[in-house]
Amino acid sequence: MKQHLKTVLSLTVICAVVSVLLALTNDITAPIIEKQQNEATNAALAVVLPGGEDFEQLDISAYELPATITQAYSEKNGGYVFQMTTTGYSSGFVVMCGIDAQGKVTGATCIASSETLGVETTYGASLTDATLETIDGVDTVAGATKTTQAYRNAVKDALNAVVILGGGSVDLRDEAQILADNLSAALPAGEGKFTSVFITEELDSVSAVYRADNGAGYVFVSGESFVATDAQGVVTSEAAEDVKTLIAAQAQKLLSVTQTEIDISGYADMPSQVQKAYKTSTGNYVFELRAAGFGINGDEWYNPSGEYIYLRVSATAAGKIIACETVSQKETDGIGSACADPDFYTQFHGKDETNYREIDAISGATITTNGYKTAVSKVFEAIKLLKGDA
Amino acid sequence: MSKNSHLSIFLKGILLENPVFVLILGTCPTLATTTTVIGALGMGLAAAAVLVCSNMAISLLRKVIPDTVRIPCYIVIIAGFVTLVQMFVHAYLPALYDMLGVYLALITVNCIILGRAEMFAGKNTVGKAALDGLGMGIGFTLALLSMATIREILGAGSFAGIAIPFLSDHKIEIFTKAPGGFLVYGIMIAVVYKLTHGKAPRKREFGCEGCPSAGMCHAGTCAKEDA
Repeated sequence: MKQHLKTVLSLTVICAVVSVLLALTNDITAPIIEKQQNEATNAALAVVLPGGEDFEQLDISAYELPATITQAYSEKNGGYVFQMTTTGYSSGFVVMCGIDAQGKVTGATCIASSETLGVETTYGASLTDATLETIDGVDTVAGATKTTQAYRNAVKDALNAVVILGGGSVDLRDEAQILADNLSAALPAGEGKFTSVFITEELDSVSAVYRADNGAGYVFVSGESFVATDAQGVVTSEAAEDVKTLIAAQAQKLLSVTQTEIDISGYADMPSQVQKAYKTSTGNYVFELRAAGFGINGDEWYNPSGEYIYLRVSATAAGKIIACETVSQKETDGIGSACADPDFYTQFHGKDETNYREIDAISGATITTNGYKTAVSKVFEAIKLLKGDA
Repeated sequence: MSKNSHLSIFLKGILLENPVFVLILGTCPTLATTTTVIGALGMGLAAAAVLVCSNMAISLLRKVIPDTVRIPCYIVIIAGFVTLVQMFVHAYLPALYDMLGVYLALITVNCIILGRAEMFAGKNTVGKAALDGLGMGIGFTLALLSMATIREILGAGSFAGIAIPFLSDHKIEIFTKAPGGFLVYGIMIAVVYKLTHGKAPRKREFGCEGCPSAGMCHAGTCAKEDA
């Protein structure tokens, strides 16, 4: 028994003595180690915020900052350094950027990346001196649009974060979110789920129409305002009388239209791009087309994937395009895929045979743009063919 | 005579019973930290410091520590010293701390240190244990240094980070990798065996007779423990 006690006691005493020694040493070395680590962090932070002193890490959970921000440091002179993790073209990257007390980007650098392109290692330089007002104007890099856009958005998040940390409030919603919020505000019965309606009629002052997925009604976008109607086209939103009358008329025009498919197999000269054709009860035409973009033509370095771009165009019998939209596409992600961007295809709205070529091409995707334009041009050809028959 | 035996305790660790090349202990840190001369030197000195301190502490406490829990006691003492060294290196030599990484903490389980504690310090006086620790520590450091010199000069074309003209243009990169480490290690063992031929403990076979530590181990201890 005595032997056992001695065993336990001696081991306990040795452990206790060692622990005390370690605690004493830690007391001496811990402040030195901390000081060194702070210096190392400061040196890293000073790269993006030259002249920054006394960096202090902020508790970001206390603020509603953009989700990309993972770390934030404040600095003695009112500047900030942020670390953002963002997704780009592939698996994403980590960006660090400094912002001075005047809200100007002092430097941005990519500290870790698994992107394929390498642009993210140099793009930070072009964001230097940007402010919240100017950052959207900084060019992205052609051929690496997704990566550079993600980079720019991350730095913009940091600029927004400065406003939030300063006690201000920032609209962090992106365009899609703003649209969704506006639609829901106009038609709460739509329960937040809306689908864009493909417009086949020439409407007055209406730029877009959305249908509630649950059939509750429609939202007409006219300039800056969103006007809701019920499923029968009766205006339900609060609006001035003249606006109500205008929208009700447009709604009637759009909702009363019916389409009948035209059998195009009888037209030997029908362009191969035209897949299906419809005639509306108002005499307009709707075409489903396929365009041979980069996926079909490729180029000398790239084997085409064999995928067409599918699009839909509505036009008047006189050959004026009412609406155009991309239905599906498998062009190169981040380059030709911009043909699915409304900013691209809505350029055709209101165009006719004389001026449809006057649109801005997709930068870096000439083959995609040309294929798309060719398909659109076949609309005019098809209308002439169909009219000749009628 | 007494003076002579003290000297021999100190000297045997350097060549005749060199922990790395003769006793074949501490192979893992040997291969891992000998890619650079600075890293090897830092590792060797850190291990030597721990070895001297733990040898002395264990020798001092050898009458107090009950035989049944001696290994846990040794480990606690060694781990304590390793953590002390680690804290000091982290505080005062941060570059070396980053270079050695996890191997610094792994000195705790470096078999040289536990081996000396078990084979020597636990049975000898403080003075002898300190000399043994010093000799073994220097032997370990020299072994690492010699291997690192060969590996860094041939593999990276530099010595202690200073580029050597000509060689830096003709690097043999395998020497900085694990296979090169084994290659140099094997050759060094052979060279040391040749140098100490007839004097170093022979590895006749596995078991007590073949054990390089059999010289200072009370013969038959292993057999008794096995039984």
